[in-house]
Amino acid sequence: MRAIWAVYKRETGVFFRSPVAYAIAFGLLLLLGLLFNWDIASAAMQQTMGQGGVSADNVISGAVGLLTFLMFLIAPLLSMRLLAEEAREGTLEVLMTLPMGDFAFVTGKFLAAWTYYTFILALTLVYALVLVAFGSTLDAGLMLSVYAGAWLYGGAVMALSMIWSAVTEDQIVAAFLGAATVLVFYLAAILSQLLAGQPALAGLSGFVRELSLPAHYNDTLLNGIVRAHDVAYFILLMVAALFITTIIVGTRRWRAS
Amino acid sequence: MGIEVTDLIKKYGEVTAVKGISFSAETGKVTGFLGPNGAGKTTTMRVLTGYTPPNSGKAVVAGYDVFEDSLAVRRRVGYLPENVPLYRDMTARDYLMYVAEIRGVKQRRDRALAVLNRVGLSKRADSRIRTLSKGMRQRVGLASALIHDPEVLILDEPTIGLDPIQVLELRDLVKELGQTHTVLFSTHILSEAEQVCDKVVIINRGEIVAQGAPAELRAELERGGRILVRAGGDPARLLEAVRQVDNVAEAAVAPDGLVITPVSMVNDPRPALVRAIVQGGFDLLEIRPVAVNLEEIFLELTRRSAGVAAPQQEVEVTAQAAEETDA
Repeated sequence: MRAIWAVYKRETGVFFRSPVAYAIAFGLLLLLGLLFNWDIASAAMQQTMGQGGVSADNVISGAVGLLTFLMFLIAPLLSMRLLAEEAREGTLEVLMTLPMGDFAFVTGKFLAAWTYYTFILALTLVYALVLVAFGSTLDAGLMLSVYAGAWLYGGAVMALSMIWSAVTEDQIVAAFLGAATVLVFYLAAILSQLLAGQPALAGLSGFVRELSLPAHYNDTLLNGIVRAHDVAYFILLMVAALFITTIIVGTRRWRAS
Repeated sequence: MGIEVTDLIKKYGEVTAVKGISFSAETGKVTGFLGPNGAGKTTTMRVLTGYTPPNSGKAVVAGYDVFEDSLAVRRRVGYLPENVPLYRDMTARDYLMYVAEIRGVKQRRDRALAVLNRVGLSKRADSRIRTLSKGMRQRVGLASALIHDPEVLILDEPTIGLDPIQVLELRDLVKELGQTHTVLFSTHILSEAEQVCDKVVIINRGEIVAQGAPAELRAELERGGRILVRAGGDPARLLEAVRQVDNVAEAAVAPDGLVITPVSMVNDPRPALVRAIVQGGFDLLEIRPVAVNLEEIFLELTRRSAGVAAPQQEVEVTAQAAEETDA
């Protein structure tokens, strides 16, 4: 625990001092801000034309939904450095000769990345504040479900892309492979729909769907439906990814040269 | 406690980097680990620090087996890897505090300052590591290896890349540390091992060629080793005369004299040689064992372990093999 905390503190400091991390956050928030602006504008337009308009809840879940989708890019960019840089700089050798298990520093690093993501996610709360300030009402239960879900989603996706940072010393390669991996988990939802249309493979469809990210977020938590097994899915994904990362780091001991 | 290595084997895939070596390093001594690049020094050290597990054999460091009790070993070892990897964006002090925290050192702030003082770097405690010179970084690395006051210190080529003054300072520090700790110190500079170490372990191509105190090694090689003769007179006649002497297997002209190889290691041919040279009317200027410093001992030993091949080529071949392993 002591070692995890030490690694976590250092790594969190690196994130919050890193211009790259801020650039990523800036790009993301700019995009979400534009979407928010457009949502508000079109809602206002619809209202003046006497139509129902967009609900405040939908504006927020739309923004957070887009954020989670964009995580296929953001997560690899945030996590690519975590282990690849240490391996390239040789500092991994120092870490691995300190009295702590490999799981400890892998976890410490992951938690730091997750913390930075939490910070970005928390910044999007400003949209909710703006809406409330201008008289909209938000469903507190729905908001909790949307945000807690997005938080878990981000953690799982970050852990998944971190695996590649342990595999290769090249951060760019790690980022590409990370993005590809997250996309596979995202697009599994579409694959399951395609499979459902094939009578011979229909049985597989349900299984593939259960593996996919949208099935556990966009279809449930994002709409305020909280199911225990969706939460379990994200936690399991995180823990499994951290274990795989730890094992890959451990193989370095054998192939060390 | 110290270090006790028995029949240690370490392979990287097809390549056997360390081929069943045995040696020990005692507390209160500096043990030099000597060999050309790619001889297996770094690999052995990585096994001893718990970084990489051995394929077979046993290594006990500070009383714990590196394979069975890796964490216990790592708690008691301070390690300075070869190219001194450090976090360049941290200050020296922060880096030391970080290592101390992971190691569970009490009173980290005081301890960090104490080791910085020890390595003479307290003035640059708050400089970012990237702004420090190579020698200073080396000292930060050494400070981080000392932060938890380890029983055993393993230093992989700590003097590489330092200027001559820094080298001298570092050697003094290592010598001083050796009085209270077990220090294993690798180098490929032979004179360095001779100056700093109480004991030398010479390794070549993953095998130990010799070990002992530098003086012992020299004595061992003087007995029955090759002999250098310098004498005035006609070189061709001298060569002829020398070849007649009993127990001389071979004599060859070298730039600084004649190099004579005796038949056996037991009978010293020197008395007979001297008589032959003097009686032959030559002016004897010098007669001495070829191996008088570690440089020459090392070449002698690698020549012997390689059989016929010339020492010069030998070193090149090993260096090549090293590059292949590194890749």
